[in-house]
Order: sequence, then C-alpha cells, then structure tokens
Amino acid sequence: MTLREAMSGVRWYLREVAGETAYDRYVEHARREHPGEPVMSRRDFERRRQDAREARPQARCC
Amino acid sequence: MQRSRARSIAIWTVVAIVGAVAWAIVALVRGEQISAAWLIFAALASYAIAYRFYARFIVRRVLEVDDKRATPAERLDNGIDYQPTDRRVLFGHHFAAIAGAGPLVGPVLAAQMGYLPGTIWIIVGVIFAGAVQDMVILFFSMRRDGKSLGQMARDEIGPVGGVAALLAVFSIMIILLAVLALVVVNALAESPWGTFSLAMTIPIALFMGFYLRVIRPGRVLETTAIGVTLLLLAIIAGGFVQDSGLADAFTLSPEAIAFCLIAYGFVASVLPVWMLLAPRDYLSTFMKIGVIALLAVGIIVTLPVMQNEAVTKFASSGEGPVFAGALFPFVFITIACGALSGFHSLIASGTTPKMIEKESQVRIIGYGAMLTESFVAVMAIIAASIIEPGLYYAMNTPAGVLGDSVQSASQAVNGLGFQITPGELSAAAAAVDEETLVARTGGAPTLAIGMSEIFAGATAESLKAFWYHFAIMFEALFILTTVDAGTRVGRFMLQDTLGNVYKPFARVSWKPGLWLTSALVVGAWGYFLYAGVTNPLGGINQLFPLFGIANQLLAAVALTVATTLLIKAGKLKWAWVTGIPLAWDAAVTLTASYQKVFSDVPTLGFFAQRDRFQEALDNGEVLAPAQSLDDMQAVVTNSTVDGILAALFAVLIIVVIADAARVWVKAIRAREPLPTTETPPEESHLVAPSGLFPTAEERAMLAGANGGAARFGRDGARQPERTGR
Repeated sequence: MTLREAMSGVRWYLREVAGETAYDRYVEHARREHPGEPVMSRRDFERRRQDAREARPQARCC
Repeated sequence: MQRSRARSIAIWTVVAIVGAVAWAIVALVRGEQISAAWLIFAALASYAIAYRFYARFIVRRVLEVDDKRATPAERLDNGIDYQPTDRRVLFGHHFAAIAGAGPLVGPVLAAQMGYLPGTIWIIVGVIFAGAVQDMVILFFSMRRDGKSLGQMARDEIGPVGGVAALLAVFSIMIILLAVLALVVVNALAESPWGTFSLAMTIPIALFMGFYLRVIRPGRVLETTAIGVTLLLLAIIAGGFVQDSGLADAFTLSPEAIAFCLIAYGFVASVLPVWMLLAPRDYLSTFMKIGVIALLAVGIIVTLPVMQNEAVTKFASSGEGPVFAGALFPFVFITIACGALSGFHSLIASGTTPKMIEKESQVRIIGYGAMLTESFVAVMAIIAASIIEPGLYYAMNTPAGVLGDSVQSASQAVNGLGFQITPGELSAAAAAVDEETLVARTGGAPTLAIGMSEIFAGATAESLKAFWYHFAIMFEALFILTTVDAGTRVGRFMLQDTLGNVYKPFARVSWKPGLWLTSALVVGAWGYFLYAGVTNPLGGINQLFPLFGIANQLLAAVALTVATTLLIKAGKLKWAWVTGIPLAWDAAVTLTASYQKVFSDVPTLGFFAQRDRFQEALDNGEVLAPAQSLDDMQAVVTNSTVDGILAALFAVLIIVVIADAARVWVKAIRAREPLPTTETPPEESHLVAPSGLFPTAEERAMLAGANGGAARFGRDGARQPERTGR
C-alpha cells in the first residue's frame, strides 16, 4: 500500500465517521429510488438531518 | 490449506504463551515493581484469544448468525436511521457512544485495592460478561428491527419486568449524570486554568454550530479541525489566565461550579441540538479517540513502572478511604464501564442495530468495541498506579479526613500507612500549576496527573502543567457532552411516560412540556450533585458505589433479557453464556446493595451511618468530619436518600429476575420453543466482510459484486441481480 492510498483511506474513514458523506448517499438513494422527484440541496438536507436528532436523542455512555 | 492451518496454530500458540507469561508476571511478582508493559501484554493477548475463539463460538453456535438473512439496515433502508453502514465506520460510532469517562474514572478509584484485582476484573470481566452482553443485546435488537432494551424487556418478560427495567434505566441515568457532574466539579474547583478552558468550550461550540449550520453545511471535518485548534489555544490561554488578574474571576468554589453545571445542563438541553450538542459531540468524540490513542502510544514509549502495590491491605479490610467495603463486591461495582457496563445495552439496542450491514458483524462491533473500551480501562488503572501511593491517597481521600492544609493531609496519609511529606505535596501541585492537589477526589485529577507524567515523559518535563490541564479539559469536555445528551434522553423518557397521562407531553416539540420535563430531569441529578458537593463525608465516597450498583443493575436487566431470549428460542443448553455472567452480576450487585443497606459498619451501611449521625445530632454533638449541626443534618438526609435508593435498586433486580424466571420455567416446560418475536427472515442481497479485514473468500465475493473493481473505501456491495423489494 502506498502512502497516497493510505492517506486516501484515512480521508475516506474520517469523512464517513463524521457523516460528511451522508448527503452523497442521500442523493444517490433519491435518484435510484425516486427518479424524477426533486432532490434537496445540501443546506436543506443537513438542516433536516440535524433537526431529526432532536426527536431521537442518543445517549452517550459513561 | 494444511499449511495455513499449521501457521494459524503456531501464531495462536505464541499469543497464548505471551499472554500466560505476562499474566504470571502481573499476578505473581511481589515485592518489586513491575513494568506497565506486562499489563498491556496480558490484556492484548487475552483479548485476541477471546475474540478469536470465544466470540466466534458465541456468534456461530449460540446466536447462529446468518449472513444470508437481511439486516434491518438492508430491509428498511430509509437513508435516515436505517442505513447499511461500513463495519469500520459503525465500529467508530459505536465505540464513541459507549466510551466515556466511566472506564477512566472507575479504575482510578479501584486502584485503592491495588492494580491486580482491578486488572483481572477488567480483562476477565470484559471477555465473559461485558463484551458478551454488548454483542448479544446488539444481536437480539438487530433481529427485532432495532428494538430498545426497555421494549424487549416488556415483550419478552412481561409488563412487570418491563416497568422495572424502565425505572432502572431512568434512575441510572440520574445517578450517572450526578456522579459525572461531580467528577467535573472536583476537577475544576478552585482551578482557574481548568475552569477558564472549559468555559471557553461553550463559545467554541456555539461558533462551530453556527459555522456548520449557516456557513458550511455538512463540513464536519473542517469545522472540527477549527474547533480542536481553538480548544488547544484555550488550554494554552488558561495558563496565562491563571497568572493574570482574571484568575479570581475563574476561581470558583465547588458549590458555585455545581450551580453553573446545573444551569448549563438545563439551557443546553432546551437549545436546539445543532447549536451546542452536535458540535460538542464532534469535538469530544475526536478528542476522545485522539487522547486514547496518545495515551496508548505514551505508555508504550515510556513504559512506566507500577508504584502501586499489587493488592493493598484495603482489599481485605474494607476500610479504604476512597470508597468503603471489601474487594468483593466493591471492586466489581466500582469498575463498571470497562468490564461490564449495563449502560452499553442501551447503545447496543439504540442506533447501532439499525445500521449494521451483516449479522456476523455483531462480533467486531459489539464484542470488539467493548474489548477496546476495556483496554482504555487498563490504561486508566496503569495511569493511576504509576503515581506515588502517598500522592494517590492525598488526592483521593475525602477532604473531611485530610483537613485543609498539606500538613494535615500528609499526617492523614501517614495515618493510612503511606508516606508523603507536606513539601512533596506542594511540589506535586506546583508541577502542574494547581493551588493544591489535596482531596481532589473523583478520579479525573488523579488520572490527569498520571497522564501528565506519561505525556511529559514522552515529550518534555516542562510541559507537565499543559498536559495536566489538557487531560482535565478532555475529561470535562466529554462529561459535559454526556450530561447534555443524557438529560435529553431522560427527558425523552419522561415526556413519553407523561404523554400517557396528558397527551401533549408526548409531542417532543411542545415547549412547556419540554421545559418542565427538562427542569425535572436537571433538578433530579442536580439534587444529587449538590448533595454530593456539600456532603461532609465526600460526594464521590458516598455516591460512586450507588452509580456502580445502578450500572450493574442495568447489566442484570440486559443479561436477564438475553438469557430469556436464549431459553425461549429453545437454546437452554447455551443459556450459560449469558446466565453465568448474570448470576455473577446479580451476586455482586445484591451483595453490594445488601451491605449498603444492612451493614452495621457506619462507613459502609447507609442506614448505620444515618443512625450514628442522627443519634449524635439528637444529643447536640458534632461528629467529625462534620463541622456543624447543619453538616450533621446533611449527612443524615443524604444517608437516608442513598440508603433508600440502594434498597430500591436491589428490589428492582429481584423483581426483574423473578419475573423472568417465571418465563424461563414456562419456556423449559413447553416442548417447542416459544413463539419468537423476531422479524421474519428475508434474503439478503448485500455482500460485506464480517471481520475487520476481508478474507480471501470474501474478497472474491466482493470482486464479483463490484464488477471486479477492488477499491479503497466502503467495500460492502449490493449484488448485481437485485430482486424487487
């Protein structure tokens, strides 16, 4: 494995863990499952996603 | 095939020998100091063997995971909560959710019994109890579309068990929040450096929240990088504040900090998630993982030597100053997180089961993440054990025993049988730029001292004060995140319950209900926090055992649910897998509650303590460490409340287990397995490796599904011939 591959692996992992790729996945999901329907902008999507956390709080352990 | 088999046998033989040698040295060497490296080796070798053999046995034979069966993430994929997630990413999420201050604080306190009992329990406990509980609950919840522990208890055991489980969850939440907040109070009291840096996290988080919401939606990494930089600057700035005219403004008494935390807890929990909680969560998660990794590297680089005894006299006498009681059951109560933590069953039946790609991945995510948490606990017990014992007891004995000067503290420590001079105590405080280290109970300051020694040893001695405050800040940071998140969870449960009585409460957006329930939850933990801060006997000394009992009570509920499910599925012969940890956990928790309620030793039994102080109060006497009649009254009230709680916890465990035993008998008498509550199986079309690294076989399957494109990143794939849903 070259250094470049390792770096891209780390970058992939951090983006996934942080949820930065959620929007890309949503766009893919929306295009695949609901073709022809409008797709939310990133701003709207992230807002929806953050606000959804309000309704289902997740515990952090000790 | 033959060759790879021989190689595998050779490798595992070596691992077993390394582990056996390390264990022998940790357990048998007496009278001379051993290197911390042996604890690390013993832990890692045991984890490897347990993961490879025991976890695999449970997954294959007991749970019978089936990768041909679609997981809820695949069947119900909605892009929001149900979503197939790469196992390595989900491991990160799950670990971040289960690991917090618990595995860092408990082992530090348990070091009063010596490093050996704690280390054995952390490693053996995680292998046979903690990691098993996490994995099994994750599996059962996954088979039921991600049902919560409370729902499973109601469905599998019955309404009585269900209500008892719900009560257990709510009460552990309150005690947990109070104890964690108390740890923060003890770490920050009279410390302008620590208080300033922690206060700065609030504007930093607010800035991050707005940045992420308005300026750069979704750019979490960029925002977190900015936040971490600001955080480090805040820690450095704290050093200057300490020496400036601002110091007085940030020098707060324990009571003042307690009120600040209570106010913060309320405001933070009614603000929208995006403003404070979400950015804090990113900050504390990345800090947490970063610091744990740093600590591991630091220990390996510096290889510190253990100063603590292997087993101290307090293990048998039960008269330790940090917490009362003998080794059994109190080591197993004090070290909850890191060995067996009931709280994890809430996470394992929360979001994780809805995101898992393949059933067999419960092994790496459930069992593997808990092994990692256990390793964090081993590092914490090392950090607490490389400190001079004299300093350890000067920091962890309640203030009432130590008095308020270095002279009186030195005398008290000598009285316990350990040595530290007043000069050494002052020098230790000066080395980390603190006013005093006397009676800095709660575990966080002790851990910070241990970490600062390790980090300063790996970097430069002059950085010791920075590293100390870095460690304090990092612990306080994620404790505050837990306080915010936990208040929300408790409020959610309360809203749900009150919603049955008055409908609007169930609507989470109904503002009056939101404020009222938030105030109730904050008021509940705030009460225990304030009582702990002002308790003349020491809040940690009094409350930490209750926290441990509550956590192990929740573990008993989880293990009971798991055992019930195994028996109902006709797997009585495998029920020992969760049944033995349950029996052990019930024995520990019930013995501890029994002693806390009925012991006639006043330092141990809450009611004996109450009677002793009440009697003196009736005669108008003041008993040390109380200093006034008000103090006496406070001890009486606290002991009564704590005693009632300990009794309540014991009753809850008995109710849950007795109610479950009824179901066990019914299931064993029935000829057929009882009707299952599992979601009916559906065929899976996802391909993904089950372990961390894909096997050759899995790689071939993936290549087929991906059309041959091997690439970095998400290696799970959807099979090309998808059938309609």
